[in-house]
Amino acid sequence: MRSIEFSKRTTREILRDPLSYIFCLGFPIIMLIIMTVVDRSIPKEAQMNIFKIHALAPGMAVFGLTFVMLFTCIQLSKDRTTAFLTRLYASPMRSVDFIIGYTLPSVVLALIQVMITYICSFIIAAIVGGDLKLFNMLFSVVCLLPSVLLYIGFGLLFGALLNDKAAPGVCSIVITLSCMIGGIWMDVDGMGGGIKSLSHCLPFYHGVQAVRMAVSGDMRRVTKPLIITLLYATVIYILAVVLMRGKMKKDVR
Amino acid sequence: MSERYGIEIKNLRKEFGSKVAVNDISLNIKEGQLFSMLGVNGAGKTTTIKMLMGLSKPTAGDALIMGNSILTDLPKVKQISNFSPQETSVAPNLTVRENLDFFARIYGYDKKKADELAEDMIEKFTLQEVEKSKAKTLSGGWQRRLSIAMALISSPKVLFLDEPTLGLDVLARRELWRVIEKLKGKMTIVLTTHYMEEAEHLSDEIAIMVGGEIKALGTLEEIKKLTGKDNLEDAFISIAEE
Ligand SMILES: Nc1ncnc2c1ncn2[C@@H]1O[C@H](COP(=O)(O)OP(=O)(O)OP(=O)(O)O)[C@@H](O)[C@H]1O
Ligand SMILES: [Mg+2]
Repeated sequence: MRSIEFSKRTTREILRDPLSYIFCLGFPIIMLIIMTVVDRSIPKEAQMNIFKIHALAPGMAVFGLTFVMLFTCIQLSKDRTTAFLTRLYASPMRSVDFIIGYTLPSVVLALIQVMITYICSFIIAAIVGGDLKLFNMLFSVVCLLPSVLLYIGFGLLFGALLNDKAAPGVCSIVITLSCMIGGIWMDVDGMGGGIKSLSHCLPFYHGVQAVRMAVSGDMRRVTKPLIITLLYATVIYILAVVLMRGKMKKDVR
Repeated sequence: MSERYGIEIKNLRKEFGSKVAVNDISLNIKEGQLFSMLGVNGAGKTTTIKMLMGLSKPTAGDALIMGNSILTDLPKVKQISNFSPQETSVAPNLTVRENLDFFARIYGYDKKKADELAEDMIEKFTLQEVEKSKAKTLSGGWQRRLSIAMALISSPKVLFLDEPTLGLDVLARRELWRVIEKLKGKMTIVLTTHYMEEAEHLSDEIAIMVGGEIKALGTLEEIKKLTGKDNLEDAFISIAEE
């Protein structure tokens, strides 16, 4: 139960920071609205589909995860600079309690964020027209889970490795990568060449792709990107856990 | 009380690279005693405490906390001991009560018991006024009181207080002394301090550390006699400057 108690305190630390609300909850809503407006002003002939609500909602859901990563990372790196963590090391807390205690709140935060993003998307679809099917949306949340693990893994990884000054900077690299070559705000497949190959080598594109396919009901094309994302996520998360444990051992010198 | 030891330190040593922070110290502290460690900055007090809490791995040697080895029985040691670090450390965005509750829970108390214990600590440390305030909004002195209350809430058998009264005003210091005095006999306490009158006032036994070694060990009277001085401050200076 120590892990649950520690999760509670991490959740409180995150939720009592007003920035969490701005980034994790307010930002996705505003972006959804802005992008929808942008989409209305793009001429039909341009064949730009990524800002249509059925592509935008999944993109936004993944985009939100990048902020979950940022918060996970900041929380961990900030804690590591304090004597508070030292003090917890002297308590009966085991390393698995710490790992769960940092992961669980982020998972919950991610799920709340997706819910809000999707509810907003339904409202937007109802206003501007667009067809979002409830079943597909629910299924897409399942397809988002590997990405949840992936971004939390990155958050823990950077949080364990970097101090609280350097951590946000490195996170912003991942955020940019996700947005651009992950295909959230850019039509990567339409670009071809080096960018396309690069984006197919990294997990971000596949993570977005899995959710987009699920939302558009193209179930047969969900499996491949889903598995690729899951593999990446597993590797990154395990790496993060190993590094975290190593860091804790090293802190006890 | 029979001659049981709360802490037995056996040739404990800590090196950081080529620097010897703690140099083969050995000593026994009887159960229920209050033991003060004095020493100038960098003498090795915090390092010793950290090793006894499993926060730092000894280069050599061992120590027993209520008979449990810090090398082989660390989980047991962590359950029965607690400490208040030299740097105040509280969860900044949790309220005073939540901080206390949280600590009671991670030491294994159920919700009901944790609430009771938190209530008890709030009373003992007169934290009523601030119990609903976030810890980060408290002044340094109040944070330190909370920090110490969090160390006591697990009812440890062995308590380490690393400079507990640092940054406290005179009244708060006297009040904390009263709290500590009430704990005497109930648990073994190791305290470090730079205030001689604090050590004089509270200690059953005193050790003076210089350069990682224990240069003097005994009751206040014994240490005064050893150096031929009539107060602890002079005795300390004569040993530390040797
Ligand atoms: N993590 C560390 N790495 C390298 N050296 C260290 C480390 N921790 C402590 N030391 C060194 O060990 C020595 C003892 O330090 P320690 O903190 O135990 O002293 P102290 O008696 O608690 O001093 P103070 O009264 O200032 O708190 C110092 O020389 C310090 O520089
Ligand atoms: Mg110290």
